[in-house]
Amino acid sequence: MLTTHKDASVMGIIFPNTYDNLVPQLVAERAMAAIPFAGRYRLIDFMLSSMTNAGIGNISLLTRKNYHSLMEHLGSGREWDLARKHGGLNIVPPFAERTVTKIYAGRMEALASILRFLEAQKEKYVLMTDCFQALNMDFKALIHEHIESGADVTAVYQVADIPDGAKNGNYTLNMDETGRVTEILNNDYRTGKQNLCMNIYMMERERLISMIKESSVRGQRFFEREMLAPNLHILNVRGYRYDGYVARIADLKSFFDENMRLLQDDNIDQLFDKNRPIYTKTRDDNPTRYVEGAKVSNSMIADGCIIQGTVENSILFRGVHVEKGAVVRNCVLMQDTVVEVNANVEYLVTDKDVLISAGKKLSGSDTFPVYVAEAHTV
Amino acid sequence: MSKEMVAMILAGGQGSRLYALTQKTAKPAVSFGGKYRIIDFPISNCVNSNIDTVGICTQYQPLQLNEYIGNGQPWDLDRLYGGVHVLPPYQKANGSDWYKGTANAIYQNIAFIERYKPEYVIILSGDQICKQDYADFLQFHKEKNAEFSVAVMEVPWEEASRFGLMVTDDTDAITEFQEKPKNPKSNLASMGIYIFNWDILKKYLEEDEADPNSENDFGNNIIPNLLRDKRRMYAYRFDGYWKDVGTISSLWEANMEVLDPEHSGMNLFDENWTIYSRNPGLPAHMAGKKSCIDNSLITNGCKINGTVKHSVLSAGVVVEEGAVVLDAVIMSGTVIKSGAVVQRCIIADNCVVEENAAVGAAEGEIAHTAAGVTIGCSATVKAGAKVYDDVKEGEEVC
Repeated sequence: MLTTHKDASVMGIIFPNTYDNLVPQLVAERAMAAIPFAGRYRLIDFMLSSMTNAGIGNISLLTRKNYHSLMEHLGSGREWDLARKHGGLNIVPPFAERTVTKIYAGRMEALASILRFLEAQKEKYVLMTDCFQALNMDFKALIHEHIESGADVTAVYQVADIPDGAKNGNYTLNMDETGRVTEILNNDYRTGKQNLCMNIYMMERERLISMIKESSVRGQRFFEREMLAPNLHILNVRGYRYDGYVARIADLKSFFDENMRLLQDDNIDQLFDKNRPIYTKTRDDNPTRYVEGAKVSNSMIADGCIIQGTVENSILFRGVHVEKGAVVRNCVLMQDTVVEVNANVEYLVTDKDVLISAGKKLSGSDTFPVYVAEAHTV
Repeated sequence: MSKEMVAMILAGGQGSRLYALTQKTAKPAVSFGGKYRIIDFPISNCVNSNIDTVGICTQYQPLQLNEYIGNGQPWDLDRLYGGVHVLPPYQKANGSDWYKGTANAIYQNIAFIERYKPEYVIILSGDQICKQDYADFLQFHKEKNAEFSVAVMEVPWEEASRFGLMVTDDTDAITEFQEKPKNPKSNLASMGIYIFNWDILKKYLEEDEADPNSENDFGNNIIPNLLRDKRRMYAYRFDGYWKDVGTISSLWEANMEVLDPEHSGMNLFDENWTIYSRNPGLPAHMAGKKSCIDNSLITNGCKINGTVKHSVLSAGVVVEEGAVVLDAVIMSGTVIKSGAVVQRCIIADNCVVEENAAVGAAEGEIAHTAAGVTIGCSATVKAGAKVYDDVKEGEEVC
């Protein structure tokens, strides 16, 4: 849906580190947004691609820590069509203010560090999101709906159970019959389907600027808790329900489950909608080679793998080697993992460059996958 | 600023012996090895040999090739000075002309080469699958103090008469050139890859252009003229994998050889000599619950739920449950539906092989199709068939 509004220009702001604490293993060396997902992507790819596919060409990333791997992944932003003369990709590391390097605690503090930048931009609207979800969302429809509804702020939510890992870090929305948000709850622990906030917000840039100024005057740090929740009587905050596919990474278990859920066709087709491609950094891998004797079923396998053994119900990232006689079942093996001759692994999540040596047997269970950290040898 | 060596890739041929495959695309843009195009090989060789200025002479169906090359970024050839340039024939003040021959294609681009003031120019062919270090070749050229060098392969004596042959002395100096002779005096076949000192090449190109009887061809005109003038000419022996993929059967064979790098010598998995290509940006491939994949190359975006044996599948190919693909090359976006059997053939991009259709046979010539055709339900495409258009339901094509 193409909006017909005269000025529907939007800039993006992404917080790559939100909820880092939920997956300490995977973010030991990287930001949440740089977590590998779906064989050849990182979470940031889905958000950036959704934005660029909606014509958003000016995107700022407000990083907090561990942002080296993210910066390496993004480079100039060319792969997402964000190497632009105007706008493009703008990565903002923590602000070194006079003598202290300040690491922000809440969203408002982080935004305060780019206040001048925000004031100098030309886009009318701001799309502000976290990056703990893999999704392919039609932001054009969201932009259109935001403008049509006349909302001050539009908050995207899904109707879902609150994931175990997110019990201590979620917002849920209560709305009236017109869709106006009447209450924002924090750390909701109720069971059953809730209006679970996806931390994707749209508003006018000018409104965000005034919120930043106000929050700094009052020493407020948190957007949802301090800027939205207490002001719902004066702010027209509206919910925008999203029913499409979304993979929410809330802990290691959900990371494993969400990878596995990709083995269902309809999820893959929604995440990789042909009309809205997902872009990522290219690696110039060769096609995957199935050597004589390979046995593979129900698996997602990226380019650059060499498979000589058995692979079932697994996700193999780029450049994984499964040697002769090796068996891989119900695993998520990240890039360049090697499973040597006759090794046998089950319910395993390996990080980059892991080596499972010949003949080793290692298995977790469906409720508790075993995790092997980057570049370790088992 | 100047460049030591500029590469010129001859990519203007129609590729008429690839029949239906080159109806809408130039031969160098034809898919190879799952995710590559033929042109990726000479371009990647240049980049890996530290040549950063590459001209591609093209004139037949240039649209796809132009789009594919783009600004050269996938090969790291988007440079401030140099980089890759697609060079079609163009209108000049004194008229215009198609490229009349291989030498004329370079002649018409003298101005392009002069911009870089190179000492050497390497002439490459856009229709060969080969991983070759041109830096090593240049080193040879310099050590011999040559004015012209040609890369040669030893071929079996009984096949020698099919090639252009270089007769050399014991210092590798060329004494004679035989084009497809009945009685070969040498088994060193020219690979069509030459290094020239630029001043010499320019002189002979201008002289050749002035000769109205010339065919403006390197093999037939330039090389004999160099020999006539006793120029310093040397043959550089190359013993790696090299294949001219100008025919359906050689293109198919070369793809099959990629599946057996241990024996064929065509190793795409060599991290020290990456072949770069433009990435279609598709997700990882899916091997479904019913899939049976053996001895094959599968590229991103494929969805396999049938049987694939000893085959090369490009990006985004779908093989439905119950379909069988054997000894086949399937190019990007093609769908093989349930019950279809596809063997010993090349199916071009974006085709549909409907249910229970049969393409190719276990023996005989290699069948192939044009891009975008539909092979109807239960239709039969026999060995060696050339499919230019849709095949109707139940129809048989020989």
